Amino acid sequence: MSDSYYLFKGCLIPTRVPNLEKASLIVLDAMGVDHRPLPGATCCVEPIGLRSMAADTWLVTVARMLAIAETEGRDVLTLCNGCYLSFQEACHALQDPALLEKVNLVLSSLGREYRGGVKVRHLLDLAHEKGEEGVKSHVRRDLSAFKVAPHSGCHVLRPSKAGLRERAYAPRMLGDVARWLGSTVVSEEGWPECCGGGVASIDDGVSTGMLEDVCSVYRRSGATCILTPCPFCFSQFDLRQKGGLPVLHLSELMALAFGATPEEIGLRYHRTKLGPISGSP
Amino acid sequence: MWQRLTEGVRIESIGTETNLPDPLGELARCHQCGQCAGVCPSQKHGGIKPADTMVKLHLSLLQPNAPELWLCAMCNSCTERCQLGVSPSDRIQEMRGRATLAGHCPKSFQEEAKLFMRTGLAFPNSGLTKKLRKELDLDELASDAQTLNELAALVKATTLGRVPLER
Ligand code: SF4
Ligand code: SF4
Repeated sequence: MSDSYYLFKGCLIPTRVPNLEKASLIVLDAMGVDHRPLPGATCCVEPIGLRSMAADTWLVTVARMLAIAETEGRDVLTLCNGCYLSFQEACHALQDPALLEKVNLVLSSLGREYRGGVKVRHLLDLAHEKGEEGVKSHVRRDLSAFKVAPHSGCHVLRPSKAGLRERAYAPRMLGDVARWLGSTVVSEEGWPECCGGGVASIDDGVSTGMLEDVCSVYRRSGATCILTPCPFCFSQFDLRQKGGLPVLHLSELMALAFGATPEEIGLRYHRTKLGPISGSP
Repeated sequence: MWQRLTEGVRIESIGTETNLPDPLGELARCHQCGQCAGVCPSQKHGGIKPADTMVKLHLSLLQPNAPELWLCAMCNSCTERCQLGVSPSDRIQEMRGRATLAGHCPKSFQEEAKLFMRTGLAFPNSGLTKKLRKELDLDELASDAQTLNELAALVKATTLGRVPLER
């Protein structure tokens, strides 16, 4: 396991919610993680729309970035469930030597080759791997007033056949990290529900229906905010939800726990405001 | 299932085909138990019906322009739940690929594809992006020429380069 990473920021975070990028950078620096932006990065060919248009384009695009990461011997770190699944499924698929050869045929025309040696981690994995003591040692602020409902998001859990780290039923990694950070976890996921973000641009009724199903459960749990490691779920909850339950991305809860101020990490950019619990208006 | 991923490269024209090839027999295995339907959040709200879709695909009854193909949120619940390895979301994804080549991809995804090919990103680096990044003291987003050249070559060598896109 390599301890130095190429940070793959993806598309959604740097363009639409750069406040999550800011929080993530603060968190990685606070934990002393050796990270650098992945050179030559493009979109991961997200697993909902783009990838289903052209699956081979997805595989070669990710393989190109894995080849770049491999030359420096760094693993890839993502901040997004979509990016994580794109990379993880590609890593998994490319363990098949015949497929790897086919992909390398295209990569060779770019002067690149992937040998199959890169691993990918989500910020959630990284935090969980630090363990309770490892996470607690960085905590500088009491977050017990945060009553969080963990929402893992589909693409860190499913499909399990892609060798994902979290399990598909009753995931607990996110809740563990939230507790280690000192927040109060008020609900646990069973069969994890989808936020409906994948059809938001196609059918508002279906998307909103799915969103309300999952939010109503979190509202009933007494949560003061939803916690998710995924910026797509984050945006769906923050921008499209009717009930007004605020949401935090994992990087934000970590940054707050590690002592960053709400101003620094741009909590003011949330559409659904966190109010007094965050210490910001 | 991975053997099939690059199969798209060889498909030249699929205009009138309504069936999904089933070389590994996943579709044939579906016994309509309905487990996938039970966990599908889209079906609950009038969207795609995965069990239904599997049988239609197997019987060549699904047209490539079927709107429900795009009402799948790709949450992978159906694939996780199915005990026979039919992997409905993978089959839906394959059928979307065929529908796309036949010119039936929704506009929003086409726009995303165009942006990806032009800038390397799936979301626009807009004026608001620049403003927010500046306020947060983050560096400016920039895509370098070499990356875009490599991306263009890669797109040309794969299926996305052959996808008909509306202007
Ligand atoms: S796809 Fe699987 S879960 Fe769905 S009906 Fe067929 S066998 Fe059952
Ligand atoms: S992946 Fe699509 S078809 Fe399968 S359960 Fe999710 S929304 Fe339904």
